[in-house]
Amino acid sequence: MTTDKVLLGAIAGSFGVQGDVRLKSFCADPETIADYAPLETKDGRVFAQIVLTGRTKNALTARIDGITTKEEADALKGAELFAPRDRLPPAEDDEYYYSDLIGLSVFDTGGELIGTVRSVQNHGASDLLEVRLPDEPATVLLPFTKATIPTVDLETGRLVADPPDGLL
Amino acid sequence: MSRSVWKGPFVDAYVLKKAEASRESGRNEVIKIWSRRSTILPQFVGLTFGVYNGHKHIPVNVSEDMIGQKFGEYSPTRTYYGHAADKKAKRK
Repeated sequence: MTTDKVLLGAIAGSFGVQGDVRLKSFCADPETIADYAPLETKDGRVFAQIVLTGRTKNALTARIDGITTKEEADALKGAELFAPRDRLPPAEDDEYYYSDLIGLSVFDTGGELIGTVRSVQNHGASDLLEVRLPDEPATVLLPFTKATIPTVDLETGRLVADPPDGLL
Repeated sequence: MSRSVWKGPFVDAYVLKKAEASRESGRNEVIKIWSRRSTILPQFVGLTFGVYNGHKHIPVNVSEDMIGQKFGEYSPTRTYYGHAADKKAKRK
């Protein structure tokens, strides 16, 4: 299941008095957010160019085209920045974007629905799929390995899972 | 001050027992443990442990580069989701 737009960052506020902004990047490598330009906001405003100018404690600082005053930068506080999904570079074999996996249906080897992928997590060991069970608020974590998830079919939006005993 | 070498790595005895039993049975199963303080030993490589984080058991596939770390390091106790953005998951 491929979503049209991917959230890549947000504007945290202004920086300085010359129209620079504090930019929160959600990318794996924060500085690559500038490479995905043009980025657009939820209300359709498009920023064709983003030039990174430095770093602050928890964010990057950047100059965005068309923003030249602190007041304009202040007005953008909280704006989320999106890029079309097809602008992300193609993933390698057996590599999947988190955004492609989230929302997929997970079936067991017998074809019975286990749930839907709510998030992808990595705590240092291996990637984990957090699967929300149907009709329940509870979630289970499935290791994203070939043994546990033998089939990933992005076309039909299906994952086939063979979870180890004691996991469900 | 670090732990004295002569003592060897610390592992709760029940973790060793469970790991050994699982390896002998050859079944594909999650070994549920509560011992976050136990050290990951070479004989645990390839096994999947469910490490308790105070709420649920987080599956941890043990690989070679995890030897010498503690189980608790791979089972965070606080929830943080973050954003998907351009992050990728590799199916190993």
